Amino acid sequence: MAFLPDESRSLPPPPLFNKGSVWLGFVGWLASLADNAFNQRPVIRAGVHRQILFASVGFFVGYQLVKRAEYVHAKVDREMFEYVRHHPVDFQPATG
Amino acid sequence: MAAGLRAVRRWGLVAAAPPRLAFTRSAFVAKKANNAQPNWLGVGLAFGSSAALWGFLIKQHDEDVAEYERRKRARGRKCTGCS
Repeated sequence: MAFLPDESRSLPPPPLFNKGSVWLGFVGWLASLADNAFNQRPVIRAGVHRQILFASVGFFVGYQLVKRAEYVHAKVDREMFEYVRHHPVDFQPATG
Repeated sequence: MAAGLRAVRRWGLVAAAPPRLAFTRSAFVAKKANNAQPNWLGVGLAFGSSAALWGFLIKQHDEDVAEYERRKRARGRKCTGCS
């Protein structure tokens, strides 16, 4: 199955800066700082190009993952509401 | 296997000096990393890749927003039960 099927484009796209993209961008930045530490370089002053690249890759991956997660949630919700619609007897409001 | 276990025990008992290089590579092809001089090719590739990634991401986001608006208009008021 495709990572993002065509029908996922019918959903409102998540904002560019969302929980997943910001967090994974931050994680990418931390990974570049860890790389600096393991290679015995100054932790935040060294390799700014590397920090920017790692953070950008993390941001990008986070954004794609959030898009897929929203699609999966919407699909499951749609299936659930369809089931409820087809089985009204099972979903009557409680009468007791 | 017994020889390997004996070797592990020997390394554990003797405190080894930490390696100066972070990764162990073959001495035939490894060079000592020189962090004093910028690796301009690496810097250029890193900034170029970051710019390409951001450009692609922002373009894709704008296209997604436009496509969503287009599909919403095309659907009109046909389906009121879904979002």
